[in-house]
Amino acid sequence: MNAEYRKDLFADERSDDFDIIGKPVIRQDILGHVTGRSKFYDDHAFDGLLHMRCVRSPHHHARIRSVDSSAAERQGGVVRVLGGRDVPVNTNTLLSLINFGRDDEPLLATDKVGYVGQPILAVVATSVRAAQEAVDAVKVDYEELPHVLDVEEALKPEAPIVNEEYPNNSFDYFDTYDHQKLRFGDVETAFSKADHIVEGEYQMSPIEQAPIETCGAIAAPETNDRITVHTSTQALFFSVGVTAKQLDVSSARLHFIGGTVGGGFGGKVDSHHEPLAALACLATGKPVKYMWDRAEEMQVGGPRGGERWRIKDGVMRDGRIIARAFTGFFDAGAYTRLSSYAVQKSTGHLPGPYSIPNVASNVYCVFTNRTPSTAMRGFGITAVDFAIERHMDKVARAVGMDPIELRILNAYRDGDMKAHRREAKNCALIESCQAVAQKTGWRLSADAARASSKSGGGVGALGVIPETVTDDEGRIGERRRSGLAPEPFSGQGTRGLLPEGHSSNNSSAFGNAPQREDMEAEIERLGFIGAAGVPPTPQGPMDETASSARPIAPSETAHTTHPAGARGGPSLPAAYTQRPASTINQPFAQPPAQAPGTPAAQQPAAAEAESESATTHFQRGVRRPGVSRFISGSRRR
Amino acid sequence: MLEVQTYPTVGEAASAMDDQARFLGGGTLIMNRVNYGDRRFNRIVRTTDASLSEIRVEGDRLEVGAGVTMAAILASRDLDFLSPAARAVGGPAIRNMASVGGNLMAPHPYGDLAVALLALDAVVRMVSGEELSLEDFLARRNGVVRSLLIRRPRGDEFRFRKVSRVKPKGVSVMSMAARLTRSAGRLSGVRVAYGAMASTPVRVRAVESALEGVSLDHAGITAALSAATEGLDPPDDPIASGWYRREVAPVHLRRLLLGEDAR
Repeated sequence: MNAEYRKDLFADERSDDFDIIGKPVIRQDILGHVTGRSKFYDDHAFDGLLHMRCVRSPHHHARIRSVDSSAAERQGGVVRVLGGRDVPVNTNTLLSLINFGRDDEPLLATDKVGYVGQPILAVVATSVRAAQEAVDAVKVDYEELPHVLDVEEALKPEAPIVNEEYPNNSFDYFDTYDHQKLRFGDVETAFSKADHIVEGEYQMSPIEQAPIETCGAIAAPETNDRITVHTSTQALFFSVGVTAKQLDVSSARLHFIGGTVGGGFGGKVDSHHEPLAALACLATGKPVKYMWDRAEEMQVGGPRGGERWRIKDGVMRDGRIIARAFTGFFDAGAYTRLSSYAVQKSTGHLPGPYSIPNVASNVYCVFTNRTPSTAMRGFGITAVDFAIERHMDKVARAVGMDPIELRILNAYRDGDMKAHRREAKNCALIESCQAVAQKTGWRLSADAARASSKSGGGVGALGVIPETVTDDEGRIGERRRSGLAPEPFSGQGTRGLLPEGHSSNNSSAFGNAPQREDMEAEIERLGFIGAAGVPPTPQGPMDETASSARPIAPSETAHTTHPAGARGGPSLPAAYTQRPASTINQPFAQPPAQAPGTPAAQQPAAAEAESESATTHFQRGVRRPGVSRFISGSRRR
Repeated sequence: MLEVQTYPTVGEAASAMDDQARFLGGGTLIMNRVNYGDRRFNRIVRTTDASLSEIRVEGDRLEVGAGVTMAAILASRDLDFLSPAARAVGGPAIRNMASVGGNLMAPHPYGDLAVALLALDAVVRMVSGEELSLEDFLARRNGVVRSLLIRRPRGDEFRFRKVSRVKPKGVSVMSMAARLTRSAGRLSGVRVAYGAMASTPVRVRAVESALEGVSLDHAGITAALSAATEGLDPPDDPIASGWYRREVAPVHLRRLLLGEDAR
């Protein structure tokens, strides 16, 4: 099959020197793989290698009354049985390395277990079989506790506490709220003005990464009191950091060797094998392998978390979506791992690639008695994208509109303000829709076929940060006390109002000042020079058109579907006209707030960059001797 | 602990067997269990007895040692009629190790070769010298097999078909074998066997009797197709549901009987 490249699209925004697609490219590691010479962690042989197996919880949720490993310790081949008390720093959370979240997960459970398969003891023996038999011989006395497996059940006041560190069964955001908020405009008022309200609920299941090579690590003593760890990790420095922390040793004593991952897909970042193998190596002075079997990989390995999303749209008769509210639940399982971050990632993605002037979302990182979930390919994005696109189809049905035209009508155009208060750039959804329609013989109206990502963006209310209604609902613990509904603005909390143009974090709406001078963006390296090459000018007061645009007024939130060049014709109503070019470019052309006394020498550089832009418009990559052009290269920045 | 015991003769190996022991043929089933930590056995018994890998030919009677591998079947001119079934087992690495004897022991949905052997009325010769029909052997599945006695089918009377979702190495949705013996232009004494349609490979007597005395064409096999799953309760597994197996069995049976191409 011959690929077809739509090089006509955005031809003026990039140089046409792509020469990789369509040619055979040899993967850099494939020669080793097909000749069987790539060394995976399990290919490293050690004399006297010991093997580790874990005693695991058979219960979703149980208190551990007692553990009796005496029979196991007496069995042949058993070298050592390790428990939580043998781990110097038993409790950790993966993102503690970047100061995000509190330590909540024991390496080996001591007091209670929160999911089926949670490790309690690690048995080190001379063979896998001996370790397995010793695991069979360990007696654990459990007191079963009520468990919760559903995200919304877990948020209810009567739900059992899954994770003692987060007794409300939800991750604490900013030490304030039990969810991640996004507020943009005024969804409640917009809903009241909408012709249709379209609601939908979407549920995605957990997905196991299922690598061919199961997760594992071999830790072996090295000279100079160091430990060599061969590992399947995808995140070598995460694993080093976690191991150093949990073993309370300097990372200088840890020699980690990785790089050959037999399938990762996100499932090899959790860094549980390395600390356990290294701990056993320290305890026995022998090389120790800790490797999951297939059943463990499937049952205990952190999957992509299940997600539930509810979307409520306010839609006008003509298909324009004027408000969208999300309620999202991310099933973290029993411990945080990376789910807290997935929630923020998904929030940054809302409301999808559409210009909607009023957006609100509450997204929860919820603890349940399920296998802790972790990274997997686009986690935090794929599920909500599925929900959004399913919902777009539902909206199309509700208003009786072609689903592709609905997308084109509502798609981001260059210059539109996104809900996370950054201007949309390099939009291409419209062109993608048009190309798909063309390839599949899908008939589009003339307006939809003519629409362009490059025109009609940033018009009126769609180009500015609207006046935004805020609330203080969902403070930590409030939901558990009062049974507050999870949807945005569902309680009687205090409402606030952020003025138009105001970003949520009290900083400049268009980027924080860099902390240090050398962090200043070098415009020629970024490759992006304002759409019309307008020189950076200090941001003046908002122009009248922009500031008078009420975000909730439907008539002002329309994208024109007229092609570039046909903008602002005399017959168009005022609301369809574009803002003058200078105001379009003002926001993102404004240099980050400069400290007084910044050397004026920067000015000529900017001017140079500007003149270059007159011919090439956008630049790809870096142009410095000895530096890869692709350090910051991308098609459209 | 797990112990491996090696004996010079298959007789000694057979007498070392008990509930806690497993006999190692090619290891494609046993080593899998070992790797998964199966603690229901603690001894692996094997033999270096070369006679187990012999193929003896006496006219159209063949004796195939239990240790003969799928690859050896494929390499044998005398066993050419078994090639399609041997080739249906695993990939080259598995076929280099997997043995005829082991295939008789393979749990659902494996054991495609046994399906072919069942349709060929193979006789199982145990190490003890006892001989029993493969059907009887599959019903109890124990003891150590020395060899299989097979009568070479004539002409194109033997048919084998494996249905899998992944080609060429997929696990069976079902496998089917038939020996379509004829008498005076009509089918007579037909054998039909299925794999992955019950806990072991099975003969399908309802189909066999519906084919008795009919001609091998669309009209003739109609009754057999409606009886395709009579008396069977195909299992659900990750490869296919029992319902699906029942629904598609007549289609595949028709293709098998009439020699239609599946694609």
